Amino acid sequence: MAVAIELRDLSVSFPSRAPGGAVAALQQVSLRVEAGTVYGFLGPNGAGKTTAMHVLLGFIPASAGAAYLFGTDVRQSIARQRIGYLSEHPEIYPYLTGRELLLLMGRLFGLGGRALRDRAAELLQHIGLRHAADRRLGTYSRGMLQRIGLAQALINDPDLVILDEPTSGLDPLGRLDIRRIIGGLRARGKTVFFSSHELSEVERVCDHLAILAGGRVVAEGAADRLATPGESLEQYFLRVVNANTSREESP
Amino acid sequence: MNRCLVIARMVWLDLLRRKDLYVLLILLGGLLLALLSLNVFGLGGMVRYVKDAGLLLAWLFSWILAISVASRQLPQEETRRTIYSLLAKPLTRGELLFGKWLGAWSVVCAATSLFYLLIMLVVAARGGRFEPLTLAQTGLLHALGLGVLTALALALSTRATQSAAAALAYVGALASYLIVPQVPVFLAAETGLRANGLLILYYALPHLELFDLRQRAVHDWGPVPGALVAGLVLYSLVWIALLLLLGWLGFRRKRFARGAAR
Repeated sequence: MAVAIELRDLSVSFPSRAPGGAVAALQQVSLRVEAGTVYGFLGPNGAGKTTAMHVLLGFIPASAGAAYLFGTDVRQSIARQRIGYLSEHPEIYPYLTGRELLLLMGRLFGLGGRALRDRAAELLQHIGLRHAADRRLGTYSRGMLQRIGLAQALINDPDLVILDEPTSGLDPLGRLDIRRIIGGLRARGKTVFFSSHELSEVERVCDHLAILAGGRVVAEGAADRLATPGESLEQYFLRVVNANTSREESP
Repeated sequence: MNRCLVIARMVWLDLLRRKDLYVLLILLGGLLLALLSLNVFGLGGMVRYVKDAGLLLAWLFSWILAISVASRQLPQEETRRTIYSLLAKPLTRGELLFGKWLGAWSVVCAATSLFYLLIMLVVAARGGRFEPLTLAQTGLLHALGLGVLTALALALSTRATQSAAAALAYVGALASYLIVPQVPVFLAAETGLRANGLLILYYALPHLELFDLRQRAVHDWGPVPGALVAGLVLYSLVWIALLLLLGWLGFRRKRFARGAAR
């Protein structure tokens, strides 16, 4: 099976004035995400989830190791041709309308003409924003911004969608919409890689999981096989994270 | 190149939907109308006065617009956190920087053309006219100077906040326009380290005064030789390329703050 994401001994450290001179955000993280899976990337705040995503997207360089998207080194901009990304806080241009945003983002992928206009209209319909398509984004609610953010992440019909906390700040209906969209992507054989604190959401949609704590992968595997029988994902998550963080904190 | 044009288009849409440009246009129109109502120097002198004051205002307003538009492009993307959604596309940081410069420069040039049009209308209303070729050269060199200025403000904004980049660009632009041309005069009275410092200043800053042909347009002194214009085109392109290169060096590995203010 094709590999959508591959991290090989990835380490990232940030300069710091603290003793030691650097803060290790990721330490020798290795992961393989097979194409066509919905992969949950979990961890407490500060575990390194967003840092790993930012390396994958080429926002920050790795201090050591390597990262690949469909076999292409993430340092090459062409690696991002087949992906879509929704950031944790989709702060979108207030002066553009929803439709303009989708058209402009589509053009950044080299799309254009009638095909792009049709794709934008289809997505606006799909996310339930057709009625607000020609309104400025500055007038959108938080939930509408999240949905238009997701639409811009899907404009190029990506093979891999990276979602950073996609349900954060959404009401139950908004979460249901996101779940529905992820389900639709899975049904079409797309790969979804997403981070979340909402363990119940993750449990419902993910095939595979990785749990990050202190910049390291502390658990990884099929979502339905990680927890022991009778244990919920939340209980498993707390057990694994506590075990690893307390080990790190002990002298 | 297409991706650069998309970024440039976004800069246009941003400016056209803000109030800055319209405020400047209304202010310029108001000031020119005020000039129209004056008639203290006799008709001939008045036309020259209107041309002089009008072109000075066009320079002033275009500089303000160029620095404010160019210096906010990248910091604004960062504070809004839209930089992430842009860089998640197959867009290099070099393309983003060049697209931002292209957008800022072209939109400021378009606004400056409107300023010139207003001035031409007011001058015509006073019964005067500009010599066309001289005015075209004045406009062209003005646009090239704006290219250097937008590249300077954009390069500074890759490493500074919006307000710091704008302030530094204003200082740099005023120093280049007012102080640098006077360096040879100061140099005659200096020796040793101070003379070397002045020489470095003279060569390290762009000479924006070279792009100022206003007096030729005001007094109808006629166009400058084409070879000189070609030389200035080359000079501006070298400076724009150098400043964008410096901006790219500052931007290519920049880490963006994740918790940027909204």
